[in-house]
Amino acid sequence: MATTTNSLTLTSTDLFDDSLSISNTSTCYKAGTTIGLDQTTGLTRTYLTATTVIDLFPVVKGTTNAVENGKVYIANLSEDETEFVTINIGDAVIGRLYAGDFMWMPWSPRAQHVNDIELAPSVATGMHVEFMAIHNFANIYPTGVDS
Amino acid sequence: MATTTATITLSSSDLLSNVLSFSDTTTLTLAGNATGLSLTSGLGRTNFTNDPVQGKVIYRSDDATTNGANKVYLKNMSATATEYFTVYIDQEEMGRLYAGDFAFFPWAATGGVKEVFTTTIGGTWVVGETFEFDGVLITAATTSVNSIATQVNSAYYPNWTTTIANSDEVTFTARHSMDAGTVVTATADIVIVQTGGSDATAVVSAAAMGTATSSDIIVVPSVVTTMDLEHILFKQ
Repeated sequence: MATTTNSLTLTSTDLFDDSLSISNTSTCYKAGTTIGLDQTTGLTRTYLTATTVIDLFPVVKGTTNAVENGKVYIANLSEDETEFVTINIGDAVIGRLYAGDFMWMPWSPRAQHVNDIELAPSVATGMHVEFMAIHNFANIYPTGVDS
Repeated sequence: MATTTATITLSSSDLLSNVLSFSDTTTLTLAGNATGLSLTSGLGRTNFTNDPVQGKVIYRSDDATTNGANKVYLKNMSATATEYFTVYIDQEEMGRLYAGDFAFFPWAATGGVKEVFTTTIGGTWVVGETFEFDGVLITAATTSVNSIATQVNSAYYPNWTTTIANSDEVTFTARHSMDAGTVVTATADIVIVQTGGSDATAVVSAAAMGTATSSDIIVVPSVVTTMDLEHILFKQ
């Protein structure tokens, strides 16, 4: 089994009267166990030149995945503060990642196009994004391409 | 402006044949500019102990700016590996947070429209007659419709806020966006109890239906025994 460690810190000295300091570390385990997740899509970096919606981690057509404890990381590498990518899951809009923002969330894709994670750039002038899934799903494509 | 920094680090020495290690840091700013986010819900901790299992709305879309650079942090405080929270945006499942897991993600906070209606206190009122709405009973202290409107406006309603537009008109606004159909009927469920043959009225003179939000953050625990969730919203 693999051991993948994730940590997140949230800090501010002036958001409150007192300091804010939240620090967490967790290990990426398979659902309901202490066995580490053992697959990853790898950290993908891509340059998007259209506002077309893309499916980041497509499920293999005609297959299903068990309910699991996958993890997703997405970052908008743009340095133009007006540029954002809109992140969707299934029929819901999660939110916008503005320049420099990142996200980390659990994910359990059951079947193709059911709760896919999709990304759409706000501009067609070119944006770099990074994304990665750590998982143990039997049926997602190893590359982040549209299906 | 405030400066709030988020840093994520991912590392593994055995997930791949080579070491995986990367880190990313961002400053939380308003949408489209470099001004720091200055609003937050504060760090909250919510307990779930319900039989049968019952989910809770952690953040309502009404509470943040739609398409703002809002950020949500959630953490499952359980130490039991099998216990998890299922996280939803509206009715869409995002995934499960198992024991010790956390999430940090942007939030569109797509809001709906709050229902609004205006009622006009009219007719002839007798002291002691009552106006009842949303479980709140108002007893007329005078015969003046303007004074009764003031009494109606001064009360606290669990699901509505009120203002006085004109001296005898009270406007009710729902606290949350929803599509509950409350004002479909002209009475808006107001009950007037008349005494002594009076013709006291509270006619709904204007109304606008609401629409439901589409991105409330909802979590559902996996067990009926106690589980805690920590959470914070940074918003604009």
